[in-house]
Amino acid sequence: MAEVDQFDSALDLLRRLDPKHTSTHLNSLISLVPSLTEDLLSSVDQPLTIARCRKTGRDYLLCDYNRDGDSYRSPWSGEFETPSGGSGLGGADDQGNNEGAGDGAVPSERVRKMEIRANEAFDVYRELYYEGGVSSVYFWNLDDGFAGVVLLKKVATPSGKSEGTWDSIHVFEAVDRARTAHYKLTSTVILHLSTNSDNLGEMDLSGNMTRQIESDLPVDDDTSHIANIGKLVEDMELKMRNLLQEVYFGKAKDVVGDLRSIAPLTEANRDKATHQEMINSMKR
Amino acid sequence: MSQLATVSSFVEGAPPGELADVIADIKNLTIDNPSLLSQLGTAFEKYNEEQFATVKLPGSSQHVIVSSHNSLGDGRYYDVESSSGFAFDHSTQKASEVQSYVLESSQSDLVKSLLKSLATHTKEHYPNASYGVYPIENDSKIAVLVVANKYSPNNFWNGRWRSLYIYSPSSSQLEGSMKVDVHYYEDGNVRLLTTKPVSSSISSASAATIIREITVAEKKYQEEVNKGFNSLSEGAFKGLRRQLPITRQKIEWDKIAGYRLGQDIGGGSSKR
Repeated sequence: MAEVDQFDSALDLLRRLDPKHTSTHLNSLISLVPSLTEDLLSSVDQPLTIARCRKTGRDYLLCDYNRDGDSYRSPWSGEFETPSGGSGLGGADDQGNNEGAGDGAVPSERVRKMEIRANEAFDVYRELYYEGGVSSVYFWNLDDGFAGVVLLKKVATPSGKSEGTWDSIHVFEAVDRARTAHYKLTSTVILHLSTNSDNLGEMDLSGNMTRQIESDLPVDDDTSHIANIGKLVEDMELKMRNLLQEVYFGKAKDVVGDLRSIAPLTEANRDKATHQEMINSMKR
Repeated sequence: MSQLATVSSFVEGAPPGELADVIADIKNLTIDNPSLLSQLGTAFEKYNEEQFATVKLPGSSQHVIVSSHNSLGDGRYYDVESSSGFAFDHSTQKASEVQSYVLESSQSDLVKSLLKSLATHTKEHYPNASYGVYPIENDSKIAVLVVANKYSPNNFWNGRWRSLYIYSPSSSQLEGSMKVDVHYYEDGNVRLLTTKPVSSSISSASAATIIREITVAEKKYQEEVNKGFNSLSEGAFKGLRRQLPITRQKIEWDKIAGYRLGQDIGGGSSKR
């Protein structure tokens, strides 16, 4: 039980410490409690790294789901690429398993076909919503369906002194049922924003938020899966973008205003009292 | 990094009002090495002094500040307004052993009139602030501190405003910084961290002039922070992801394969 407890404590700590340095904190936690390594790496979302596919020249994103040791599978070529420049097909481990995520997993032929289509579809999605950035989709087989992750990353530097980075990580499961599929989607967006100037000094607004939904949607053929996942991710990202906007620019700003009032408080309290009086007089 | 350095960095990173939660997590994570927790005294002290920890003295309703500027050594601190010295436990953040402490300083008069003006200023702009004025560096300088906390753990957010100003009578300079730290953690972890250095010259060595300078600097800064929110929202945030595609319509996923044929949308590697 102690281990379960420690895992919860590690997650609690990561929810409290500066989210701009989650990767550093994660490495610290792993060095402190090595037995948590696997659980933490598979459940804590970190900013995505970009690599260039050697075969196609296109950029793709790295995460735990397309990793095999220090190699990563490119969604464009389907091949694993080692840091030293080699490539391979990945595949079976010692026990002959080649399903599931990570550890050199490759999807079955049918699921790889869907994965190729999903990468094409989310490449369009990326261009329409992000007008740049990089996207990658990885699928893997499940006993009763399949699962996957949709990744999107964009770095923006609109003016010299402001910067922003958006990382979306959508992990889903699609479980086959008669004429429908049950989808479970867990989405995390990691958003870093910062700006500085002589008058402002340094301002950093960073963090991550996670949301989950489940949904049953009709399925005619494998193309339906791409459309269903697309809709779920699109709706989720719209919801999360609004939520992030509310928390980053509404809630955080309100808390600053709660800490310190620009207007003198006696004045603000007088206004409030006048306002209350007006409401009271209208009630009469 | 040693294990002690690792857990000390966790302490250092504790958000406003969440030190006890961070300590509880550390305790759980170091269960196999319980001596680590007992070695964190220095980290706790550093954290409390840097964050201007506030504490209610036994028998008083006012919160007083704990910082390096009002340290008496050996874990004791003093407060000018209440003329008290007290012991502070850095791991539990509790005060004890309150004794009378009368400030003896060549700057006592200025310190007391600064406190009076500062009381008025903080009351006008902070719903809940603690403040302190202390002579430092052998009475050659005066430290002015303001800290305002608002904790709402039930709603998953906490915030802290910290101002520190060092007034140097010999050079008539006011140097310092203003910092804001806001943590929001409902189904996520969002942090606002700001810091702004302050540096200005004071025309006359009166408490009223010094506090007026502080009032102006803080007002200007808070307005800049509000502008900062707007510019990040309108600039960097909008530049990352559109709310809807330029067509103002959601994607028709059934026709997604046709999008590529119909529109020249460019490749993933050409732009980022």
